[in-house]
Amino acid sequence: MRARHLLLAACAFLVACQREQRDLRTDPPVAEALGQVAVMPGGIGGRPAAIDRALGHPYQTNAYQLNQGKRLWDWFNCSGCHAAGGGASGPALTDGSWRYGPDMVSIFVSIRDGRPNGMPAFRGKLTDEQILQLSGYVQAMGAETASTAAPSRNDTMQARASENRAPAAAAFPKQVSR
Amino acid sequence: MAATSRLASCLPALLCAGCGGWQSALQPGGEQAGHLKVLIQLFTIVCGIVWLLVMLVLAAGLWRRHSGTPTGAAAERRSARLVGAATAASVLVIIGLTLASYVATHGLAAAGADPLVIRVRGSQWWWEVTYMDPSPDRTFLTANEIHVPVGRPIRVELAASDVIHSFWAPNLAGKQDLIPGRDNALSFTVDQPGLYREQCAEFCGLQHAHMAMLIVAEPAASFDAWRDGQIAEPPAPNDAEQAAGRLVFTGKACAACHTVRGTPAAGTLGPDLTHVGSRRTIAAGMLPTTRGSLAAWIADPQTIKPGNNMPMVPLTADELNALAAYLASLK
Amino acid sequence: MGPQLATAQPDPGFSRLDEITVENAGRLVPAWSFRTGTPGAHATAPLIAGDTLFVLTPFPHTLFALDLTRPGAAVKWRYMPPPDRTADGLTCCDAATGGLAASGDRLYLNTLDGHTISLDAAGGQVVWDARPAHPQTGETLAAAPLVAGNRIIIGSAGDDAGPRGWLAALDAATGRQDWKVFDTGPDAEVGIGEGFRPLYDPPQARDRGVSTWPPAAWQQGGGGLSGAPVADPALGLVFYQTGHPAPWNPDQRPGENRWTSGIFARDAASGAARWFDPINPHDLYAMGASGGLLPTPDGRLVHPDANGFLYVLDPATGKMLSATRFLPVNAARGIDLASAVPIREDRYVTVQDRTVRDICPAWPAGSNAQAAYSPATGLLYIPAATLCMDMAARSASYIAGTPFGGADVRVKPAPGGEEGALIAWDIAAGRAAWTVPERFPLRGGALATAGSVVFYGTLDGLLKAVDARTGRGLWQFQATAGIVGRPATFRAPDGHQYVAVLAGAGGLTGTASAKEIDVRDATAARGFANALRTLPPPQDRSGTLFVFRLP
Repeated sequence: MRARHLLLAACAFLVACQREQRDLRTDPPVAEALGQVAVMPGGIGGRPAAIDRALGHPYQTNAYQLNQGKRLWDWFNCSGCHAAGGGASGPALTDGSWRYGPDMVSIFVSIRDGRPNGMPAFRGKLTDEQILQLSGYVQAMGAETASTAAPSRNDTMQARASENRAPAAAAFPKQVSR
Repeated sequence: MAATSRLASCLPALLCAGCGGWQSALQPGGEQAGHLKVLIQLFTIVCGIVWLLVMLVLAAGLWRRHSGTPTGAAAERRSARLVGAATAASVLVIIGLTLASYVATHGLAAAGADPLVIRVRGSQWWWEVTYMDPSPDRTFLTANEIHVPVGRPIRVELAASDVIHSFWAPNLAGKQDLIPGRDNALSFTVDQPGLYREQCAEFCGLQHAHMAMLIVAEPAASFDAWRDGQIAEPPAPNDAEQAAGRLVFTGKACAACHTVRGTPAAGTLGPDLTHVGSRRTIAAGMLPTTRGSLAAWIADPQTIKPGNNMPMVPLTADELNALAAYLASLK
Repeated sequence: MGPQLATAQPDPGFSRLDEITVENAGRLVPAWSFRTGTPGAHATAPLIAGDTLFVLTPFPHTLFALDLTRPGAAVKWRYMPPPDRTADGLTCCDAATGGLAASGDRLYLNTLDGHTISLDAAGGQVVWDARPAHPQTGETLAAAPLVAGNRIIIGSAGDDAGPRGWLAALDAATGRQDWKVFDTGPDAEVGIGEGFRPLYDPPQARDRGVSTWPPAAWQQGGGGLSGAPVADPALGLVFYQTGHPAPWNPDQRPGENRWTSGIFARDAASGAARWFDPINPHDLYAMGASGGLLPTPDGRLVHPDANGFLYVLDPATGKMLSATRFLPVNAARGIDLASAVPIREDRYVTVQDRTVRDICPAWPAGSNAQAAYSPATGLLYIPAATLCMDMAARSASYIAGTPFGGADVRVKPAPGGEEGALIAWDIAAGRAAWTVPERFPLRGGALATAGSVVFYGTLDGLLKAVDARTGRGLWQFQATAGIVGRPATFRAPDGHQYVAVLAGAGGLTGTASAKEIDVRDATAARGFANALRTLPPPQDRSGTLFVFRLP
C-alpha cells in the first residue's frame, strides 16, 4: 500500500517533463491566416489575426518562436541598422520608445511594409510567420516588464544585458540619448 | 533444428555487410585511410589475442581451483613471477599500440605539398563548402558535395557557425570536429576514384542524422573540368518555363537566403545554388536531385526535414513547377 | 549677374587671415549666432563666399544664405530640396551629410539622397538638378562636390549597404554626366587603360577589380568615395580615397579587393586612372582609406589614414615616400613601403565567428577628422580619435536595400583612457611636435590660421583655440551641442576677421541625422556608443551657428 503511494507520488514528478511545444511546421492555411492582421488607417495599431489569438499568441509567449526571431534578427541584417537593439542608422528599439507603437501589429506592419525614413519592406523576403517571429523578438527586446518566455543568450559578443535576464529596459538605469 | 542453429550462427556475419561500400573505414580510398585500416586491423588482432589469452588463463584458473591449489613459498614466488610477467606484457602491448596509433595518426593533420584547400563550415544541418585558390576569382562556394582530384593532397579546413559538428568520411580519413570559433583541419589523399559519403559525427540537433555530404573523387582532368564549370556562371534559362522560374527565384523569398551567381540573388544564409542542378543530392544528402525532389523540398521542407531553417514559402503550383525546372537546369 | 564670389576651393584647413593671433585669441567674444532648427550632425563647415555665409544643415537639408552686410546676418534666402526619406536609413555613424561648394556665381550642392544641384548663389534659384545616386540601392552622396574647371566631380558613398562605388564628373553648366568610373569591376568600367601606371599592382595584370574578388563579389563590393576628392590643377589630376569593401566580414571576400580602401589618381578631364595606392587591401576593419588627403606646398600629398599611419605620397606617380605611425596601433607592425601594404599582426586578424579583442585603432579613427596643414608652421594638425575595438565578424547575407555588414563591434578608448587628441605632426621629422589629449574622440576638422592659432571643436561642444606652435590653450567656448564640423574663418564686410563654427552633433555620436541611440547596447552605432557612454546630452538638439570676433 505504502509502496503504491510512493509510486503515485513519484508520478507527480513526470509533470515537470512537459517540454515546451516547438511547432516546426505550420499548416499552410494557418500560415496564410497568420498574415491577416487588420491595420488601422495610418499603419499604426490594429487587430492581430484571429488565428494568432486562437493559438494563444505563440509568437509572444513561446520561447522557441522568440528564439527563431532572434536568429532572423541577425540573418536578415536587422542588426546592421539597429545593432543589438541600441540603434545605429535605425532607431534604438530597447529604449522603450516606439515611433509606431509597441503592439505586435504595428511592429509586424513596420517590418512587412517598411516605414519612411529608411526602414525597408521585408514583404516577399520573409514569410508572414517569420515576420511574426521577428516581431515577437523585437517586442521582447524593448519590453518594460518581465516575461516568462525569453530567447537564449548570445553565442558571441554580449553587447547588452541578455533578454533572459530581465527586460532590456529595466536592466540598466536609463541613459538614452535621442 | 540443426539448420536453424546453423542459420543463427551465420546471423552475426550479416552485421559485417554494413562494413562495405562508400561509408566504411574498411575500404580505404586513400593513403591515410589505409593507415587507419591497418591500425584497426592491428588493434583488432592484438586485442583479440589478448582477449583469448586472458580467457585461457581464466579457464585454467577455474580448472585449477577445482583440482586444488598448491600452497607454500615456492608457489607464492611462482605466482608473483607470473603476475609480474603478465603486467610487463600488458605494458608492452599498450606501449606498442600507442606507438602504432601515434605513427598512423600524427600524419593526418599535415597535408602534403601543394594541397587543395577546401574550407568546410558546418551549420544546422548542412555543409557550406568554399574552394580556396591563390587567385581569389577562382574561389567559389558550393554545398553538401565536394569533388576532389585523385592523387593530390587535400586539406579540409573546418569551422562551424552554430554548434559543434564533426566531419567524418570513413573511407578517407578519421573524424575531426568543427567547433565554433576554432580552426581545425584534416588532410587526406584519395587514391581510388569513386563516390564516398561523409556524415556529421557529432550530435548537432534534431536533424543530425540528415547531415551528410558526398565526396566525389575523380581524375585530375575531370576534376579541373568540374571546377571550371563551378566557377563559371550558370547558363541562362533556355526555355520560357525556366525563365519564369528564375523570375520566381529572384522575386520571392528565395533570393534573400540563396545565391545564384549571375542573378541579383546573393544571400548566404542557405546553400549557394549557383550549380545546384549539378549536385547529386539536395538537403544535405537526403534526396537525389531531380526536378520532382526539388519541387517536393520547396513545397514542404519542414515535413521532409523538420526544424531546418528553410521556411515554407507560399507559391502557386505554376510558380513551384517553374522554380523546380529552373533550379534543376542550374548545372 | 549675381555678385562675383571668391575663387573656387580655397584650402579650407588654412586661412591667411591674421587679425586673430596667439596674443588676442583669448579675448574672442560671440558676435552673433544663428539657430538652424534642424537636429543632426552639422558636419559641413560654413562656406563664405563674398558677402554671404552659407549654412547647410544635415539631411533633410536646408541651405541658408546669410547676408554678412546686415546686422546679425539676416537670412537672404533659403533652399530646401524635397527630400527622399529613404536616405535616412543609409547613414549611421559618420558625420557625412552631403556637402556644398561654390564657384563663380554658382553653388553646387550634394544632397544625401543623391541629388547634385546647381544654384544661383545670389538668389538661390535652381539652375539644374541631377540625380546621380540612388538611395534605393544604398548609394548616397556624402561628401561635398569638387569643382575642377568646368566639371563638378562627385562620388557615391554607402559602402555599408554594398553598392559599387563610383566617381563621376558632371558638366558645371548643364549637370549632364561627362564621365563615370567605378571602383570595382572590369578595367573598362574602372577607367583603367593605357595611362594607368600602378606602382603596387602587377603592370600587365588585367581586370584586377574582378580577379581580386571571389566570383561576382565585386558587384556588391562597396568602395565608394571616402572623404572629399582633391584636385591638382597643375597635374590635371583628381585624387580621392576609396571606401571600404563590403561586407565588413573579410572572410566573405578573400583577395585584395581592388580598388577599395586605397587612393586613386585620375585624369580630371576623362576620369582615366593614373595610379593607385593600396592603403588597406583586403580591409579587415572596414576602414577604407579614410582620413583626408592634403596637398602640401612642397609638392607632396599627405594622408593621415584611419589605420594609424600617416602617408606621404608623390602626387605625380603615387610613390609612397614614407608611412609613419601617429596613433596607437597594434593591428600592424608597420607599412612595407615596397608593396605599400600594412604588415599585419596575426593575432588581430579578424576571423568569422570569432571575437577579436583590443584591435587598435578602431574603425572611426579617421572617418571625419579633417586635418589642416599650416604653411606658416609647417605642421599638420590632425583631430584624432585614439580608440580601440573588439570585432566579431559573422556571415552577412546580401539583401538589396539592407545593410551588408556582418560584424559586431565594440569601440573603447585606447590604453591610457583618453579617446581623442589634437596632434600637431611635423611631417619632415616624422613625429608629433605636440599633442593635446582630449576626453572624447575629435570628429570635426581643424582650422589653422596665419595668426598662428588652431581652432577645433569637440563632441562635448567646446570650440577651442590653441597656439599653433606649442598647443597651449588660448581660449574656449561652450556651444549648445557637440561640434562635428570644421570651424571657418573669414573677413567680413566690416574688414574684421571672424571665426564661425556649426554646433550640432546628432544624438550623441556625431551621427548623420538625429538618431535614437541607446548606449546600453555596446554595439550601438557600430560600437561607437560604447566609447561615448559618458558624453553628456546636448543642451540643444538643434544645430546653431556661432560666430566670434575680437571685441
